[in-house]
Amino acid sequence: MDEEGPAFPPRVPFWNRPATRRAVLAGAAATAAAGTAAGIVGVARQGGGGDDSAPAEEDVVGGTGSTGATATAAALAAKPIADPRRRAAHLLRRAGFGGTPAEVDAFAKLSREEAADRLLDFQSVDNAALDARIQAAGLDDLSRMKPADGNRWWITRMAYTARPLEERMTFIWHGLLTTQVSKIGGQRFKLMLIQNALFRENALPRYDDLLKAISKDPAMLFYLDTAESTKEHPNENYARELMELFSMGVGNYTETDVRESARAFTGWRVTMPERPAEPKANLTEEERRKLLDDLYAAWEPKFVVQQRLHDSGAKTFLGRTGNWGGDDIVDIIMTQAATGRFICTRLFMEFANYNPEPGTIDRLVRVWDSSGHQVRDVVREILVSDEFYSEASYRGFVRSPIEFVTGAIRGLELDLAQIPAGGAGANARQADSFKGMDQVLFEPPSVAGWPGGETWLSSSTFFARMNYLDSFLFRAGRPTKIPVLAAAATPEAMVDAALDRLVDGNVADANRQAIYDYARGVKNADERAAGVAYLVLASPEYQLT
Amino acid sequence: MLSRRDFVKGGVALVSIGTTANSLLKGSLAFAQQNPAYVAANNGKILILVQLAGGNDGLSTVIPASDPNYKSARKVLGVKEELALPLQDGFFLNPKLTGLKGLWDKGHMAIVQGVGYPEQNYSHFKSMAIWQSGDPKGALQDGWLGRTLEKLESEQHDPFLGFNVGSSTPPEMRAESISIPSVSDPADYGFKVGGKPAVANDPRTATVMKLYEQYPGNSPYGVLLETTAESAVESSRLLAQAAQTYKPAVTYPKTSFGSGLSLLAETIVGNLGMRVGHITLGGFDTHNNQQAEHDDLMETLDQGLTAFYQDLEAQGKANDVLVMTWSEFGRRVQENANGGTDHGSASQVFTLGAQVRKGLYGEAPKLNQLIDNGNLAYTTDFRSVYATVIERWLGTPAEALLGQQWPQLNFIGAA
Repeated sequence: MDEEGPAFPPRVPFWNRPATRRAVLAGAAATAAAGTAAGIVGVARQGGGGDDSAPAEEDVVGGTGSTGATATAAALAAKPIADPRRRAAHLLRRAGFGGTPAEVDAFAKLSREEAADRLLDFQSVDNAALDARIQAAGLDDLSRMKPADGNRWWITRMAYTARPLEERMTFIWHGLLTTQVSKIGGQRFKLMLIQNALFRENALPRYDDLLKAISKDPAMLFYLDTAESTKEHPNENYARELMELFSMGVGNYTETDVRESARAFTGWRVTMPERPAEPKANLTEEERRKLLDDLYAAWEPKFVVQQRLHDSGAKTFLGRTGNWGGDDIVDIIMTQAATGRFICTRLFMEFANYNPEPGTIDRLVRVWDSSGHQVRDVVREILVSDEFYSEASYRGFVRSPIEFVTGAIRGLELDLAQIPAGGAGANARQADSFKGMDQVLFEPPSVAGWPGGETWLSSSTFFARMNYLDSFLFRAGRPTKIPVLAAAATPEAMVDAALDRLVDGNVADANRQAIYDYARGVKNADERAAGVAYLVLASPEYQLT
Repeated sequence: MLSRRDFVKGGVALVSIGTTANSLLKGSLAFAQQNPAYVAANNGKILILVQLAGGNDGLSTVIPASDPNYKSARKVLGVKEELALPLQDGFFLNPKLTGLKGLWDKGHMAIVQGVGYPEQNYSHFKSMAIWQSGDPKGALQDGWLGRTLEKLESEQHDPFLGFNVGSSTPPEMRAESISIPSVSDPADYGFKVGGKPAVANDPRTATVMKLYEQYPGNSPYGVLLETTAESAVESSRLLAQAAQTYKPAVTYPKTSFGSGLSLLAETIVGNLGMRVGHITLGGFDTHNNQQAEHDDLMETLDQGLTAFYQDLEAQGKANDVLVMTWSEFGRRVQENANGGTDHGSASQVFTLGAQVRKGLYGEAPKLNQLIDNGNLAYTTDFRSVYATVIERWLGTPAEALLGQQWPQLNFIGAA
């Protein structure tokens, strides 16, 4: 049983504290109060920034007449990231899981549009090396996979894929259209992998199609109780979350809309595994488990509508009456203005920063509307925007644990046969545990996904991050080999290389000096490399992205 | 007034060598010694907040077993009068709550019935946010206990003033100026080097702390990053000290809820200055097969809280501690077809402690006067409960912290 319980809804994290934290929060107070991603409004600012050129600073600073903190926030929002390599590294972190120096160099030479398109056009990118790596790691039998291996499998994909945006979008959909494996049951983990494949195949979908597909997804049908919902007793769980979390946000529908739409999903079911022909009596525990494993491995769950359990009568939903089925409900949801604003805001907050201005969202919604809800077009608009490439976005997020680990692997070009992801289980407490850092794939804390932002950092997760690094870089006390650092000629050159690779070389001088001092005190090159990597990955700068 | 953090920063600047955890602690201690406003750690009353996450079914917790409306709405889930544990006035405790019934009989438990707020929100997240902020309109910042802790922090400075069992700070304890330590497993709560606890003056660990101390406060997330690291190091040291002296007087149940309560007891017995502790028991969103799941949860709750109370009593701390439960909502009166219940409205708050005045407070909502298509109408605003606890137990005025004056209840005597 998960004893953590549902988490708080995402609130808008303060991303900078020029004077006091309160001053900044005051600017976003309405936001935090609204409580969900839907309620986000930006720090007030004049001007739209709708074209590609960076808006001039003066149109911002004088524009609000608001608090000093707000003016500072707005000024940062208007200030472009100047250095091309920092811009490229920022893009590769946000649209993927971080870049190697060679990738950063290559992207630094591209225009915004070229860079975005290179990431978006991933279908043509060969990913055979990843498949080979997965096979070599023994993680290729998805039909019998269990959650712990599933975590390693997905983290390996994130760290080594040649199609970073594909994997990033899959991760985003998992955090938005959530399912917790604890409710599905580890024995039926393949349902989570089926859902994962759905997200990957629909990485950049027309959102209508994704919502219809996820509504029929086996794991989701179990997770939000659609699979138990009948005409006589409609279960409201899915209908509510479909509107509250997956499309419109609270405040855009009534309790009656929840009840009416729940009726449209009644009778939606999944075909269950074939029963074995002659189940032997008195099975041992091991035999029973084997039997179930075989049963589930052979299972190909299919979506079906059981007509006798389905309510085909008239429903009035969001003011429209008809004999609606589930797809019709999604179609009606997709006509609502609230849906476009909600999803565009969410996507902006996944990629850029937590303080989108109303004008920015207006612009994204126009793309959403004119493209017929193509996520690809909205993501492209974000990835080429001034807002994305502003100082307000740079280091505007706290790194999630997944980004914390995958960023290290990519930045240091570590060739790992197995990525340490022990303790993937819900109750695990090993030192290399993602659980301790508060992010286990396939097990978000609640249907609202990971709250993220500031909530990634507590005293407990702070130690968990530090100790993950210790276990990762000094397994059983021996340093992990990091060739790209160990080759450095001097301690200082090694530190500079690590800082360049992991934090864009962008740290306070005093911190660079402190790591120099440490590096000079370690004689063995491998130990020094692992120690320097530890310190840079432990640094406050690396905790941000 | 100079805050503890300002002082620590100043102190660090003066200590020329080794800006490590040691100097941070020295800063704290020096502050305590030089400021008469510092209150000795064990002078304060302690509140332990227990969140029942997911929406606890109040009607299966404090049961109107003889009410015909209850019997007809709960044909599957209904508890028979002869199995339930009698309280008073026709109300019964869930049969699994035998330990709590014992505390009730001894006069150490009070129950507030019908607790809720106007215009009930049926979303977990929204309703939780309302309880956690203490404000249905969303105008107040941070959490209600975070605001309270900030107020208390102006009088008492301890890294453990607020303390959470779990991995992330619960929203009700969030506050702008203080960092609340969160501990899920004490064994992992400290720096490791090569898999072993870091020794004093370990150069790598010292360098990490230096990186956080030197990180400019006006950089992104500057204050959050520094106070988190600082609070982690200070609290880890103190917790390790407390662990050396604490011996539980009872055997706690082998649940994570039980071990979390034992950790809270250790913090209390170790006199670490905690005023507010927090722990969560999750899994109350019982849309289907409620009977077995809810029974398990009631048993976990009962065994944990009973052991906790007995431990504190044996350690001479029962008079200092008040336990309070809450849940974001109760559940719908009419059970559903899956042997479960859907999201509802008003529910109860339990309070436990040697100083509690036994009894049923507030008014139980009437089962024949339902609102919102079959839900209970609240009778006591949750902010009345908060105001009572803030003022009568934690000893600080509630009006400013809750945005307005609320009538107080008598489950605790007036301060």
